[in-house]
Amino acid sequence: MARKHFKPSKLTLFISLFLFGFILFLLPQTATSKLNFAFIDIFGYFLNMGSSATYYHAPQSASPDFVSRQDYNRLQTAYANLEEELSEQKRQLEKLSKVRLTEPDPSTGLVLAKVVNRKENEFIINRGSGDGLKAGQYVLGDNAVIGLVEQVSADISSIRLITSLACKIPIKISAPDVNTYFNGTMQGNDKKEAVILNIPQKYKLKAGINVYAAPKAGLLQSSRIVGRISKCSPGERNPVVWDITVEPAYEFNDITDVAVIVLKMPGQL
Amino acid sequence: MKWLRFAFLITAAAVIQSSALMNVVSLTDMHIKPDLLLILLVYFAINCDSYDVIIASFAIGFAADITGTLIGPHIISYGIVGTSLAYIRKVILLKHTRQQSLTIFVTGILTYLIAIVLVKLKVTSATGELFKAFAVSIYSAILWFLIKWPVITTGKWIGVGAHRFGKKLEEL
Repeated sequence: MARKHFKPSKLTLFISLFLFGFILFLLPQTATSKLNFAFIDIFGYFLNMGSSATYYHAPQSASPDFVSRQDYNRLQTAYANLEEELSEQKRQLEKLSKVRLTEPDPSTGLVLAKVVNRKENEFIINRGSGDGLKAGQYVLGDNAVIGLVEQVSADISSIRLITSLACKIPIKISAPDVNTYFNGTMQGNDKKEAVILNIPQKYKLKAGINVYAAPKAGLLQSSRIVGRISKCSPGERNPVVWDITVEPAYEFNDITDVAVIVLKMPGQL
Repeated sequence: MKWLRFAFLITAAAVIQSSALMNVVSLTDMHIKPDLLLILLVYFAINCDSYDVIIASFAIGFAADITGTLIGPHIISYGIVGTSLAYIRKVILLKHTRQQSLTIFVTGILTYLIAIVLVKLKVTSATGELFKAFAVSIYSAILWFLIKWPVITTGKWIGVGAHRFGKKLEEL
C-alpha cells in the first residue's frame, strides 16, 4: 500500500508555525541568544567582509613630528586616564598621608578580544564565559570604557555600548571651579551619544570636560575615561539642572580589539 | 518550490543583510539600510501559492530574528503579515512594479510595528525606532525598482514559477 503523504491544512500549518514562533519568543533571551551567537560564529568571516575597521590601516606619517588622528586619540585618552589617576592619587595621598595604598594591577584581569560583528550600539566579541567573562563587566577600547558585557555564551559575548539606551553606568565628572568631583548616571540615547541628566547647575560645566566611569566594587578598580561633554544645556523639564550630552572618547567604528576587565577576587588570586 | 535552494537564498540574504557590506548603501548617521528579507517576503507572498507563502514567511522571519538579538518577534510579525499578504493578493492584483513597491513599504511598516511592540513586551528598556522603520521601508520599496529583475531570476532558480492563475512561467 502506498504511504500516504502527510500534508497539514493551511490553518494547521499557520497555527503550528505561529506557536513555534511564540514559544521561541517566550523562551528567555539567554537561551535563544545561543542561536544568534551560532549564526555569528558560523558566518563571522562573511559578516566582516568590507568592514573598514577590520581592513583599513592608516598610512604611516612620513614626518616624526606628526601622528595620525587615531594615534592622537589613543594618546589623548591615555593622557586623560593618567591625569585622572594622578589627581586621584594626590587626593588619597592628602587624605591618608602616611597610609600606603596598594592599587592592584588592573592588567592582571584584562581579557583581550576581537570584535567579530557590529550591530546597532552593540559589539559581538570572540571571548565568552570560558575566558571569565560575565554580564555587567566593563569593556575598554583603547583604554576608554566603551560598554558593558551584556550576554555571554561559552566562547562569544555581546557588548552593549555606552551609546545604547539600554546601557547605564555610574560616572563622575570633575568640576574644575570647585576642584571636586560629583557622581551621576550616564545613559545612552541610541544616537551615537550618551546623556547625563539632573546635574545641578551650581556646577559650572562646559563642553570638553572629561567624563569618567566611576569605580565599582568588583568591576572597575579605578576611574576610566568614557568620553567628553559635547553639549551642556539647561534641563528641558527642570531648568535648574543641566542636561549633559557626552560623546564617546572613540569612534566605535575604528575599534577592532577590546579588553574586558575581569577583576580577580582575593580568593582567586 | 525547491526548499533547499530557498534555504540557501534566505541564509545568503540574512548574511548579506547583517554584514558590513550593507554599510556601503547605508544612509545617514542612523545607518538606514534596505531590508532584503522584507523584499523577499513580499516577493514570495506575491508569487507563491498561499501554502508555500505560510512556510516561507515564517522562515524569513526566523532568518530576520537570527540576525538580530531576540528570537521570536520577527517570526511572528513576518508570519502574520506574509500570510495576510498571500490572501490579500487574491483580491488585489499586484502586477505592476509600482504596486509591488508600495506593498513593500506598507508591509515593512506593519512588520516593523508588530516586531517593535513584541520586542517592547519582552525587553522593556528597548527603544522602538518608528522613524527608522519608516525610513527602512521606504528605502526597501525604492530599491525594489533596481533589484526586481535579479530577484525574479533568483526566484525562477528556486522554482517560484507557478503563476498565480495556475500557469507556469514557461507557458506564458
